[in-house]
Parts: sequence; C-alpha cells; structure tokens
Amino acid sequence: MKDTIDAILKKHIPKEKGNLIPVLQSVQKKKGYISPESVNRISNYFRISRSSIYGVATFYSQFRFNPPGRHSIKICLGTACHVQGGDFILKALQAEIGISPGETTDDMRFDLDRVACLGCCALAPVVMINNKIHSRMSVIKLKELLNKYE
Amino acid sequence: MNKKTTQNISVQIDGKTINAPVGTTVLQAAQKAGIYIPTLCYLENIKPYGGCRLCIVEIKNMRAYPTACTTPIAQDMEISTKTPELQKLRREILELILSEHPYTCLICIDKNNCNEFMTTTRKVSVTTGCNFCANNGNCELQDLVEYLELTEIKYPWAYKEIKPEKNNPFYDIDYNLCILCGRCVRICNEVRYSEVLDFVQRGNSVIVGTAFGESQKDAGCEFCGACIDVCPTGSLSEKMGKWVGIPDKSIETTCVFCSVGCKMNINIKDNRIVNVGPKPGNRTNPLQLCVRGKFVPGDIMFHPERITTPLIKKENKWIEVSWDEAINFTVNKLEQYRGNQFGVISSAHESLENNYVLQKFSRKLMKSNNVDLVSSFPDKNIIKKIHEYYTHHKPANIENITNADTIFVIGSQTNLSHPIIENRIRKAAKNGKKIIVANTHDTRTSYFAEQNILYKQGEEHTFLLSLLFVLNNKDSGKLSNELKQEFNNFDIEKVFKHCGVSRQDIEKIVKSLLNSKNPVIIAGDGILINPYSIFNFNTLVNIQTILKKPETCKIIFLLNEGNFYGSTIAGLHPDLLPGFDELASEKNIKKWSDNWKTDLNNTKGLSGNEMVNNIAKDGITALFVVGDIPAHPNLAKLKFLVQQNMFLTELSEHVHVFFPITGFTETNGHIINLERKLKEIIPVTAPAKDVKTVWETISNLARAMQEKGFDYKKPEDIFSEINSFIDLSFATEEKAKKEILPVRADVSVKKKKLPVEIISENNYFNYLGNDLLELIPDMEDILGEVVSGSSSGSSSGSSSGSGSI
Ligand code: SF4
Ligand code: SF4
Ligand code: SF4
Ligand code: SF4
Ligand code: FES
Ligand code: FES
Repeated sequence: MKDTIDAILKKHIPKEKGNLIPVLQSVQKKKGYISPESVNRISNYFRISRSSIYGVATFYSQFRFNPPGRHSIKICLGTACHVQGGDFILKALQAEIGISPGETTDDMRFDLDRVACLGCCALAPVVMINNKIHSRMSVIKLKELLNKYE
Repeated sequence: MNKKTTQNISVQIDGKTINAPVGTTVLQAAQKAGIYIPTLCYLENIKPYGGCRLCIVEIKNMRAYPTACTTPIAQDMEISTKTPELQKLRREILELILSEHPYTCLICIDKNNCNEFMTTTRKVSVTTGCNFCANNGNCELQDLVEYLELTEIKYPWAYKEIKPEKNNPFYDIDYNLCILCGRCVRICNEVRYSEVLDFVQRGNSVIVGTAFGESQKDAGCEFCGACIDVCPTGSLSEKMGKWVGIPDKSIETTCVFCSVGCKMNINIKDNRIVNVGPKPGNRTNPLQLCVRGKFVPGDIMFHPERITTPLIKKENKWIEVSWDEAINFTVNKLEQYRGNQFGVISSAHESLENNYVLQKFSRKLMKSNNVDLVSSFPDKNIIKKIHEYYTHHKPANIENITNADTIFVIGSQTNLSHPIIENRIRKAAKNGKKIIVANTHDTRTSYFAEQNILYKQGEEHTFLLSLLFVLNNKDSGKLSNELKQEFNNFDIEKVFKHCGVSRQDIEKIVKSLLNSKNPVIIAGDGILINPYSIFNFNTLVNIQTILKKPETCKIIFLLNEGNFYGSTIAGLHPDLLPGFDELASEKNIKKWSDNWKTDLNNTKGLSGNEMVNNIAKDGITALFVVGDIPAHPNLAKLKFLVQQNMFLTELSEHVHVFFPITGFTETNGHIINLERKLKEIIPVTAPAKDVKTVWETISNLARAMQEKGFDYKKPEDIFSEINSFIDLSFATEEKAKKEILPVRADVSVKKKKLPVEIISENNYFNYLGNDLLELIPDMEDILGEVVSGSSSGSSSGSSSGSGSI
C-alpha cells in the first residue's frame, strides 16, 4: 500500500499543487479509490492539508473514497429517471442496503453511486448493476434483483 | 507602518476625502473614515476572500460592482457605498444567501415580541429559525436584514438536511445554518495553521467539512475555538453558555494557564461566565487563545464540585464551618509550629500578590524560610539561571519568533504546552522561515519543520553537547578557545552515538544557525525538566555566545505555569528572598528584615521535596499548601496540614483545614509571563460569598495572630508594597550589568538520575494542581490519549514525563 503510493508520488516532482490531481487520478486507478491513508501520504509529500486534498478530490465526481464493493450499483437521477421516481428508488435502496451514494457496505457486497443519465431514458427509472442496465425499476423489482447479487 | 515606504493617496468615499496608504482596500479606507459598508465574509488581517459580495460598491469609471474588501484604492477614486441601486443589489444577494437558511423568524413581523415566549422551545435539536438558534441576538445575518430592511424573501426555504453534529467536545455544529462565508476555513488554515477545515463536495452540496467527514478530533482539531469565534451564524456554537443569551458585560483579563499569558476577553451574564471569546458583535479579529484559555475558565469556575465554604476535619469527616471558626482553629494550631518546622508550598498559577503575601507570612510571622512552588523542575536553580540570563539578555518577546529567520525548537511539545508559541512557529514556517525541530518523537511541530531531528530518550544533553562541539570547532573566539581546551581528548563519535544523531545532521543545524541573522532557540520541557537542566542551560548559552549574535539571537525558555517567574521574584523559593535576593547573604537578610520591620530567620529554606522528606524525621510538622501537591505517605504524619484550593484532591485526605480559594477570574493581581512582562489579571465575576483569595486568608490569619504588616485592604496595596522594594519594570537592571555570563561546559558525559523522590505527572492540563482532564470530561475526550501518550514517549523517560515538588 505505502509502496504503491510512494511510487506514484515519486513520479510527480515537483511537489506542486498542480500535480495533486494527476496523483489522485493515479491512486484511484491503482487502488480503485482514495483512502485516508493515501491522503495522509499525499498530504505529507505535498505539504497540503488533508482537508484541502479531500476538498479538491470531492470537487470532481471521478473520485471514490471507499473501496469498491463486489457489485457496483449506479442509480440514475437524470431528468427522465427523476420524473419517473428515481429518487424514491434511491431512498428505498439506501434503506435496504444501509448506505448513501459514495459508500460501500461493510460486507463489501455493494457500492452505490448516482449518475446523471445513462442514455436510456425511455426505460426510466433505470438502475445499473455491474454495467448491466435494469429498466423500469420499482421498489419490489429492486429487492428481488438485489438477491441475485451475492 | 514604515513611513519611508508608504505613500498616501487620496480618494473620495460618499463625497468625503480620505487619505490612506497605497495598498489599502476600499473597505479599509471606508472603515478608517467611519463609513459603514456591510460585509459577511471579510475577516480583519486575513487575505480577503471576496465570496459574499455584500460589500459591493460603485466606483466612477469602473464597470460592474467591485467588492470593497478586495479592491485596492487608487488615486482620486470616487466611490459610492450606499446608492439605492447598491442597496437593492445587496438585498437580492442577501435574499439568495438566506434562501438556504432558516429565515422565517428573520422576516417575521412579530419577531421582536416572540423571544420572551419561546425560551423552552429553543432547545429543540433542529434550528428552524432565530428563536431556536444559539446565535439569536448576536447574529450578523440579523444585523444585515435589519440594515437592509429586508422584509420578505421571494424564494422558498431550501433545508439542506444536514445532520447537526452534537458529539464533538466543546462545540456543536449545524451546517444547515452555514452560509459558506469561509471564515472558519480561513481562520483554521491561515491563522491557526491547524488545517482541519475546508470546503468539500461540489455544486449544490458544497459544505464546510473535514477530510473524509471525520469527527473534528480525528481530523486533528485542536479545539482552539477560533472558528466559533468568527462564525457569523449559529452554525458553530459553544456548548457552554449556548442558551444563556446575550452577555451583559465583557471584561478583558490575562490567561494564567501557561506562561504565554494571553489576553482574553470573557463574556459574562448575571455574574456567570457565558464564554471566553470576542465581545458580542465583534467577530472579525478575535484574540487568539488555545483550548485551555477558550474553554476552561467557564467550566472550572462554576464547576459543581467546587468547594465554596471552609472545611474542618473532625473525626475523619468534613464539617462546613464559618471563616471565623476556620481562622481561629488554624491560628491556634499554627501558634504551636512557628519556626523551621513550618512550610509553605504554593502554585505558580497564583498571582504575584498572593504568592508574595504567602511567603512573607512564612518568613516574617512563622519564621520559616521553607517556601517553595510546586514545579516539575528537578533543579530549583534553573529559575535562578534564567533570571541571571535575563539580566544580560533582554528576554525575547513572542513576536521575535514570527520575525526570526531560523527557529530551533528543542525538547518541546509546544502545541500542547504553549499553543500560542506553537502558532507563531507555524506562522514563521508558512512564511518560509527555517524551522528545526529536535525531540525524542515526532510532534505536531515536526510537520512544519525543514529539519526534524530525533534524538534518543534522555539524551538532550549529549545532543546539545555535540552541537556545541561542532559549532565550537568552527570558531576561534575567546570562549571557543577556552572550550577547546575542555574538549581536549573528547570522543565526539561516542557522543554522536549516545544521542543517536548523525554528524551530518548536527553539521546541518550548525550551518543553519551560523547562516541565520536572527535565530530563536526555544527550549522546552525536555531541556528544563531534565536531570541535566543546568548543563543544558549552560550549553545553550555557550552556543548563543559562540554564535556572536547577542542582540539578535534569542533563547526562549518555556516555563509552564503562567506565573512561575513572577512567583519566584515574589520570593516563593527556598533559597531566594523576593527580587531574587540570595537568602544566604546576611546583607539580604538585613535588607528584608528592615523592609518588613522584623528579624528574619537566616536558616536555609527547604525545597518542597525536602519538606516532605523531612516530615518523617519530624523536621516539618505543619504545612500550608496552596493548590495541590502529589500524595506521599509522609503527609499522613503531619501534625497540621492546611490546604487552600478550589477542589478536594488526594492530598485533602491528610488535610485538617481546607480553605476555598478564588480562581484567577475572580481576583485582581499580576503575573509575569515568559517575555518577563507584567500582565494584569482582572476579576470578571465575583466569587461565592465564602471563597477568598490567598492574600485575604493569610491577612486574616496574620491579624488574628497579632502580627503587623498584613493590613492589606486590596491587592493594589500589596502590589505597591512589592513595587516599592523590587523594580518590576527591570529598567535599572538592564543598565547595570553587561558582562558576559560565566559559562562552564561540563564535557563529561555521565548518566544521571533525576534527583527527586516525589514524582508527579507533568500535566500541562492542570490548574492549581487540579487535573483538568478529570474535571472536564470534554478535555479528557480530546486529550486522554495524547497526554498519557506524550508522557510515555517524551524526552527523558521518567524525567520529562514527570515532575517533582
Ligand atoms: S444564524 Fe442568525 S439568522 Fe440564522 S437562525 Fe441563527 S440567529 Fe437566526
Ligand atoms: S477549533 Fe480551531 S483547530 Fe478546530 S476546526 Fe476550529 S479553528 Fe480549526
Ligand atoms: S460555519 Fe460559519 S464561519 Fe464557517 S463558512 Fe459556515 S457560516 Fe461561515
Ligand atoms: S497559550 Fe497559554 S496563556 Fe494562551 S490561552 Fe493557552 S494556556 Fe492560556
Ligand atoms: S435520465 Fe435516467 S437514463 Fe436518462
Ligand atoms: S465582505 Fe467583501 S465579498 Fe464578502
């Protein structure tokens, strides 16, 4: 862990703020997410505070701060899906698996994110699990669907 | 400001001509002329942020509406601050800001009548309007709404649905009230350098937060409270005094917890401390304090366990008695123990006045020179050394740190012991100054260091010695030639090995010090609370002498309690009469006998340690303790033990009479801080009826014992007595002596043990010996691990993690 980060950091000289985003991108690519430990290392290297690194990272939607789960759920909250009750599905889903967007369940079974539009508005509301689109979602359908992913 | 470099230019603001130096902002120029421009994100002395746009102005020949806080003035600018157009825009801006804020109460026509009927509903957990907000009545949004006469808001209130945080120690957070002015973020990063807060998330969800949403404590919050002080809304609120309402008085006094002696403002209502913080409505440039200054006074002065009546122990039970009874009881006993069997041990948190009267009582009336302070210094002579040093080198002031080009911090946990010193170190680091930190373990200061040295535990003296050796070899002055003789046959490699620091690292430090124009050396507990404290002191002074920068190189000795130096100059030292006059000199005995119209006993005084040890041999039979001393089995053998304190402690078990004592916010007096400046402490609340100061207690005792010379009516009487004998401005002394300090480097490297028998935890978080972690649960929360962790990991093992009396 430490070595991977160190290797990434070593490639990014000078220690300038401008290099922060590329470092974060490499870390995300290598580790799948930005962990508190990585941020500590980066903070010491660049002498930029942890909160400010986190602030920068959360400014971009590309960064995750939790390890990916075995299955990735992306829930669409684009206009069409929103109108068709997407956020109701999201609330139900949050209640079911107990996490908010951006988080991963403790048992690492699921991670959850919201997306803006998956490009199949006709099928709204839409949920994507591991790159597979599930259309015309309802709360009941969703519950059944989740059972298929262990 | 420097006259030569600043050039004044003139501008017109609202038709008024104003002269101000180049670089002044429109806002500053207007404020200087007494012209009000509304602001929300602006903070005095911090880089302007230009975020809220409420300070917009019109400037002739400039397009759009520049923000006054970010626009510098230019010659002949014509500025308008209050055109109808501007006010309209400001109202719109404020409306937008408030659209995400519980604004109903703000624009309610009944708002002024509502307050008095709503007192209980205020404690609901979610703030839905001013009447449910801790900020009510002291809120910049309310002020702005009033100023801009905003009576309606066209947008519906969008509640942010952020869970209020109520689990943090000392303060609550409710970001639903946050208007994103960024003051907290900026003060935490740019003034306190704690770097806990930042804006996180994006778009609509932007909010102030910590990394990964950690709790404040996990994110490294130092609980200085600066963010609360500057927050214009109720988003950040202190738990204590939260629902007390608007203070009716604010009084400035001096913090005595550590020797920085910060100025503090205390807000009071109905003789209770509401909080320590800026006066109501005065947020943009608050005094900077640390967690102790900010949160302790309110918690401790009104602590439920505080003792507020005199107590006498009868058949192992405490009986509450009147002052008269307690005084009579004490007088009867004390009469039997005059002479060398009596002793006084006091606290360096007490004022100059109190400690002066206390030692005078012991020496003049009780005829005993057994007076001492509870301290962690294994060698009492260190304070004498420091005093001597001050007579040759003007003591540093705190701003010397900010201005130094190189700062060398040795053996100090400055962020805990002297946080405002730490703050200046960090400020210097951020300004690109060179920071060198040396300790046995990494500290928070290490993060700011260019060079971070770790030496082995208990090896401060060998570390300093190797520095001296390397530095000395590069010099050929009188002193270094003498030293070279001493260093003859000196095995430097062995010393490097001893302290665990490489020659390379030592060379690098020496180089930095030699290249520095005005270095500051900060010596902490690791140096002073050390069996080699005197050796370390001498080595440091030698280093300074060889650096040949007597006026610009400063050594700062970090004494812990607020009034250690002041208490010693007041005479609370077994070997020293007031004014650092050696007791061993007959001349001084005569001088003080004359001063006090008495015949002083010339028997050498015992230190606190010796007193406790001598109890066993019946050398000491009666003790008067102000504050607390570590428990010791001998104490049970005392014939008579008096304690004056705010709380019962472990010691109280052996105590016969207990007098309740005032805290520093309840009495007048002075302390002398580490800059050797006299600072005034001022009463902010009246003590409970039966709580008295040390000087009142002692004067009562002395009068009951028919002794003259204790007819003080008020602390000022004592102060003028001290001042008539001792020059507390130190003006004469600086002129008098100028010869070089006699320094001897003892170059032998032997292992020494602390010459102490009674070991107590060296805890910065105590007041009058009372453990603040025990008394204040929130303090335990934030420091529990840190304090125990630091003492085990600290410099000289059992030595620096511990102290003696
Ligand atoms: S922060 Fe000010 S405006 Fe907002 S609810 Fe509290 S008192 Fe009212
Ligand atoms: S209390 Fe001090 S350290 Fe903590 S967040 Fe506020 S300003 Fe920063
Ligand atoms: S918490 Fe207070 S100081 Fe910080 S940004 Fe919000 S309103 Fe401003
Ligand atoms: S730094 Fe020292 S004097 Fe200042 S507030 Fe803290 S404890 Fe008090
Ligand atoms: S809005 Fe959901 S797929 Fe387009
Ligand atoms: S005070 Fe000038 S923009 Fe906020």
